[in-house]
Amino acid sequence: MTSHTLPIPLPAREITISQELIDAYAHVSGDFNTVHVDAAAGRAAGFGGTIAHGCIPIEPVFASIQAWLGTEVLPEGTALRLRYRAPSRPGDVIRSDASVVRRSDDGMLATVAFTCRNQHGTTVIDGECDLQQPGVPDEG
Amino acid sequence: MVDARFTWDSAVLNEVLCERQIEVRAEEIERFRALMGYPPSPPDAIAVAPTSMGLTYGLGLGWEHSIFPPGVVRMGDEDRFGVPARAGDTLTTRLRIVDRFERKGRRFLKYEMVTRNQRGERVCEVIFAAIMP
Repeated sequence: MTSHTLPIPLPAREITISQELIDAYAHVSGDFNTVHVDAAAGRAAGFGGTIAHGCIPIEPVFASIQAWLGTEVLPEGTALRLRYRAPSRPGDVIRSDASVVRRSDDGMLATVAFTCRNQHGTTVIDGECDLQQPGVPDEG
Repeated sequence: MVDARFTWDSAVLNEVLCERQIEVRAEEIERFRALMGYPPSPPDAIAVAPTSMGLTYGLGLGWEHSIFPPGVVRMGDEDRFGVPARAGDTLTTRLRIVDRFERKGRRFLKYEMVTRNQRGERVCEVIFAAIMP
């Protein structure tokens, strides 16, 4: 891997979380865990209310990478490693900041590091994404 | 009541513990696309699910309700993506527990959910570890 042009910043993306979005995601995914859709259950679990499905605050990472690649789907073989650092709640605005931190000399492989933070600057998710794509862009 | 096969003490490793088959419908893809800010699919094209929609197929197993004992803390994911799902596909998702270990006095189970289409192609694979109570 070469590092002389790195890091390459990717377009930032955001998602605004609302209870309506969480409820709609529950219907799409079939995941009606009460901590997501029942405020009393969320309070009983110690969250102070409902929390978003983990897949919702990670969506800006997909949007950011796909915007960089100019595609609507990630290349086959893409690997994503992430850690949940804090829950996301209705009212939160989650922003993904991502950049290419490693890249093969032939441009076939790229590793993107990302951090998703809420409007208070708290990291809610971070991780890395390995992309296998011929001709990944040189710039963000 | 949590099935004993899903507890740390008597977890059944490397056997399929949950399985679900679904047919991907264009209207579900369009609903997801609208929800997450993607433009609608072109009218004359077969609807293609955004990559992140692959994560919903494992959630649909309902594992959070049936196999997680109260107090479990999910730590993170290792996801691998294959071919995108398309309207008309039949997807099969299977869940296994693939590892059981202790670290720094905490007990962990590692789960794997793999979704394949009707041709056997991998659509999405989610591996995640959780701290068990």
